[in-house]
Amino acid sequence: MSDANRPGMRRWKRATAVALALLAAAWAWTVWHAPLDSVQGVIQKILYVHPPLAFAAYAGFIGTAIGGALFLARGHEHFDRFAAASAEVGVVFSTLMLLTGPIWAKGTWGKWWTWDPRLTVTLLLYLTYVAYLLLRGFTEGNERAARFAAVYGILGSALIPLNYYAIELFGSRALHPDNLQRGSLGEGMGLPFLLGVLATLAAFAFLLVRRFELGELRALHAELSARAALREEP
Amino acid sequence: MSAPALRATGLAKRFGPLAALAPLDLALAPGETLAVLGPNGAGKSTLLRLLAGLARPSAGEIALGANGESRAQRRARVGLLAHATFLTPQLTARENLVFAARLYGVANPEARATELIAAHELAPFAERRAGELSRGMAQRVAIARALVHEPALLLLDEPFTGLDARAAERLAEQLAMRRGSERACVLVTHELARAAQLATRALVLVRGRARSLEPGALASADALGAAYRDAVAALEAVS
Amino acid sequence: MSAFWAVLWKDLAIEWRSRDRFAAMTVFALLVVLVLYFAAPPSLDAAQNAHVPGLLWVAYVFAGVLGMNRAFAAELENDALSALALAPADRGFLFLGKAAASFLILITVQALAAVFFALAFSLDLWPVAPQLAAVAALGALGISCAGTLLAAIAVRTRYREVMLPLLLLPLLVPVLLGAVRATTALLTTGSLPWPPVQLLIVADAVYAIVSFLCFEYVLDE
Repeated sequence: MSDANRPGMRRWKRATAVALALLAAAWAWTVWHAPLDSVQGVIQKILYVHPPLAFAAYAGFIGTAIGGALFLARGHEHFDRFAAASAEVGVVFSTLMLLTGPIWAKGTWGKWWTWDPRLTVTLLLYLTYVAYLLLRGFTEGNERAARFAAVYGILGSALIPLNYYAIELFGSRALHPDNLQRGSLGEGMGLPFLLGVLATLAAFAFLLVRRFELGELRALHAELSARAALREEP
Repeated sequence: MSAPALRATGLAKRFGPLAALAPLDLALAPGETLAVLGPNGAGKSTLLRLLAGLARPSAGEIALGANGESRAQRRARVGLLAHATFLTPQLTARENLVFAARLYGVANPEARATELIAAHELAPFAERRAGELSRGMAQRVAIARALVHEPALLLLDEPFTGLDARAAERLAEQLAMRRGSERACVLVTHELARAAQLATRALVLVRGRARSLEPGALASADALGAAYRDAVAALEAVS
Repeated sequence: MSAFWAVLWKDLAIEWRSRDRFAAMTVFALLVVLVLYFAAPPSLDAAQNAHVPGLLWVAYVFAGVLGMNRAFAAELENDALSALALAPADRGFLFLGKAAASFLILITVQALAAVFFALAFSLDLWPVAPQLAAVAALGALGISCAGTLLAAIAVRTRYREVMLPLLLLPLLVPVLLGAVRATTALLTTGSLPWPPVQLLIVADAVYAIVSFLCFEYVLDE
């Protein structure tokens, strides 16, 4: 049973909030002042948003897998609540990533979507994590749901390297730009990009901490209600 | 007293709002039969499933004989007889026993099945599919199945449910017969008369909390009934 | 290890006596092929038919999912699933036994479906039959491994029939990718390229290993 207001949790909340505020401000300022891309125009500025969202999405999925694995190994409910929080926040960032991607695509390639390997893989990962959340919802029994979800989270995360391996083998016709190499960003784009990544990860951490706390509070609430209900029994 | 057949220390199970089982200590000597009594939802099945190795305890340890065994090693020494028969309907009774023997790594599964069929008088329907057997017959096969690997600990989860008087009597006889053996037994039941008849010790569970009963409580069904009611009242007051 | 053979024998014996899983999967696969024939008929121009090998795999995947569901539905009778959970054997071997039984049943269905598919889509599969069988088997292996693990999970959730495809299909895409590319290359050029087969083998290995290790946790209460 955890006290969500204990000093440790409060410190995390404060730290992530401050980091987020500072980074977001700095990021917005640098994006505003970043040079316009000669070819793509203003739409190119999605570069500062879309890839950082992708990083956050992947961070969420990895967090789910790690939380699940720790839960299976040790059995502490906190690990399971962390995995659940990580999955939910990860899905939110994935949704944003999948929404910003097509906006950029329409602007640069002229179509909203293509079945290029990287996009397909990412969409699949997204569907896997939605399935994960459905599995949690449809399994009866808290412990069973936690265990099943942990197993599925681990299996789903095995999909990440597997799919990138598939891209390696077949990715010759890829439309989506490959991982950015040093120097591929134009002048003046490096800093806003970096800040974008940091700010998005800070936002992820901020939301993760709060969602985790919510899970802990719900568990606490359920326990207290159950005890109270017992006492009222005739 | 020789080394306990079963020892559980600080055994607890919880997930979510409430503890299904508050920390519990238990020790059973070989040959003893422990009756576990209590209202529905008290945690009796949870306790049995922990002892059977079907679920991982949240806290505490269980030892069957040797210490430091893994859950899988413990499962090798436990037999469970529940309300469900665990029989595969499309296989014959004999085939079910052979399958169980193989699952438990028993040497010579076919021979063991034949042995069990003889010992439990299953011959009349040994070659019939398990799905075609009546409840009483299926239960008899299920008992044989629970004993296929000669477990040191036999767990019974409301085994008398759904049995007619004759089948119930037969089961009670079989359980009573084994009192002389080294096997320890934990019996969960609602039927106080059976508990008084078969058990050497008794435990009452209410909402996950346990209370042992005095040995004298098992002298008769009435004595047990009275002791049971007192224990339940005491435990309900605590929770 | 004896537990592996015991479970494998039991599942196959049940199947042999009732044949209901096999029949359901075969009929379903044939129906899917039929529907696909009408939904995406092959054109006379061979160049337009690049999508056809993929259709075979649609039939295979759906039949496979159906089979996996039924593999564990049977274990719910008389709580046979708990009986498996009680066994002291390494649960990974119990998993292998069930996955192997599903695999054997699936490849039989695949063979029959392939014959019907060849008839419907006017394909000559004989020249490439051994390689096609190999690809089909590799695909079936992936479906059986991931499917067995996830079916054991899905069977104890609400909406179990829907849950399994929901969980399984996203995970099967690497397998599907490799299998369809291999089959397409096989049917158009007559030779089997290595990269898709490599992907199939790697994917199968990943699924088999992860499922073997995780089955332990799935069988608990």
